[in-house]
Amino acid sequence: MSGVTLASVTRSEWIKFRSVRSTLMGVIVTTVLTVGLGALIATAVRANWNQMDPIRQLAFDPVSTSLGGTLFAQFAVGVIGTLFITSEYSSGSIRTTLAAVPRRSLVVTGKLVVLVGSLLVVTEVVCVATFLLGQSIFSGVVPTASLGDGAVLRSVLLGGVYLTLLAVLGLALGLILRQSAASISTFTSLLLVIPIILFLLPQSWQNATTKFMPSALGRSMMSTRAPENFFGAWTATSLLVLYVVVAFAVGVVLMVRRDA
Amino acid sequence: MLRVDHLTKRYGDTVAVDDLSFDVAPGVVTGFLGPNGSGKSTTMRVMLGLDRPTKGQTSINGHAYHDFPAPLREVGAQLDAKSVHPGRSARNHLRALATSNAIPLSRVDEVLEFAGIASVADKKVGGFSLGMSQRLGIAAAILGDPGVLLFDEPINGLDPEGIRWIREFFANLAREGRTVFVSSHLMSEMALTADQIIVIGRGHFIAQGSVDDLTRNTAGTVFVASADNARLAQSLRDLGASVAVSERGLEIAQMPSNRIGEIALANGIALSELTPQRASLEEVFMELTADSIEYGSHKAPS
Repeated sequence: MSGVTLASVTRSEWIKFRSVRSTLMGVIVTTVLTVGLGALIATAVRANWNQMDPIRQLAFDPVSTSLGGTLFAQFAVGVIGTLFITSEYSSGSIRTTLAAVPRRSLVVTGKLVVLVGSLLVVTEVVCVATFLLGQSIFSGVVPTASLGDGAVLRSVLLGGVYLTLLAVLGLALGLILRQSAASISTFTSLLLVIPIILFLLPQSWQNATTKFMPSALGRSMMSTRAPENFFGAWTATSLLVLYVVVAFAVGVVLMVRRDA
Repeated sequence: MLRVDHLTKRYGDTVAVDDLSFDVAPGVVTGFLGPNGSGKSTTMRVMLGLDRPTKGQTSINGHAYHDFPAPLREVGAQLDAKSVHPGRSARNHLRALATSNAIPLSRVDEVLEFAGIASVADKKVGGFSLGMSQRLGIAAAILGDPGVLLFDEPINGLDPEGIRWIREFFANLAREGRTVFVSSHLMSEMALTADQIIVIGRGHFIAQGSVDDLTRNTAGTVFVASADNARLAQSLRDLGASVAVSERGLEIAQMPSNRIGEIALANGIALSELTPQRASLEEVFMELTADSIEYGSHKAPS
């Protein structure tokens, strides 16, 4: 019999991940928000298309519009990632976990593998589904896009990558703050509150800063062409990965150093 | 064998454990006794690598905890009855633990059965009574069939039948040659459960020994009734004993009973009663830890 390995810890974390209702609820909410709100947005666009300003019609992106629900689902995936660790602190089960696996880096790596693996599958399926649903709603009235187009496929798949990265950001904040409420409100501030504050700045400052916000990076990732004053898709992806890696690294260092 | 070696643990300015050293031998049940807040749980957390010692170290069979390739197969611990996610079933909790240490899943059913919670194995732990949670903690502790077992206040919340069951369980583990280390703040309980007792207070080592040792060496008094209590009291006082006089007889401290008998004989006083009074472990404990109860009731300053 072998002992504690990354594989055994990952399997153990997978059992934990799927054996609590909050995970299932999170996945359902993510799906409903992405697909449901995506369909609602698409229906609204279709209904108003003929009254739309021609310039806006020209700039219309059927991909990012159909994926619009991700801007709401991002909070659900953040909660999934956060609770994966903070529920262990709030229940005290972190001590049971760490007594079984004293190498804490293995615990967080196992959680990371489980979170990324499972959420990437879920969010990619959800993003493709909502994209297809959106195009079928647009069809006949509004211009549509096809997954056969490379840029379209990239944008749709980066939608899943975006949501998965935000789940990891939630996990990282949970590692740093260890409390569900503090972590989730910090997550919400990063995605929602700070962009609103930036919105109050003079236009030139806004243009220079807004594009760095995670939600703006997400919009870049899910658009077939870069929105005005925003980064291109790959630059945006790299920046978001960088944020998440830094936050996660800080979380791991704190988790390894602190008393449980 | 568990070893605590000059362990000090500070949390900010609070010293939870102060230069504590002791060994816990296999084959007996060792009680870890101290008032609430005396550092028992902290010591156990350091033993399990959960908290980092400020100074000193702990070892288990000569190894640091984090050196074990599969810790659950070496050390089983029940730290806090509620250290389980309330939304997870008992079975899934144990499965996750077993999986992490490559323990066969068949073992999960065995320990559920053993702990008497097989019938609620698929229920959420959040709905468990304290007693059921304690039993789940015990199931988790023996999951890897470890040679060393730590239990932090395992008796809290158990019903009388459960208490009898757990005493039997500890005794059996010890008989099998395992190291069994059980903390409690209830001395009367430890007197019945443990063979060896380590007493700490405010993070300091106070005493270690068998229940007999502790009750013999500390606070033992002798009750004496004689034909002439007043004269005997005077003679004993002259020779260094401390004597309390009551209507029934004399309560003598700081002098063994054989010496009292000799003094009575030398003075020609006939004794009608000479009874060594064993202090209960509870009294010993109160006396030993009198200075170290953190949140005791104090007299208001006058």
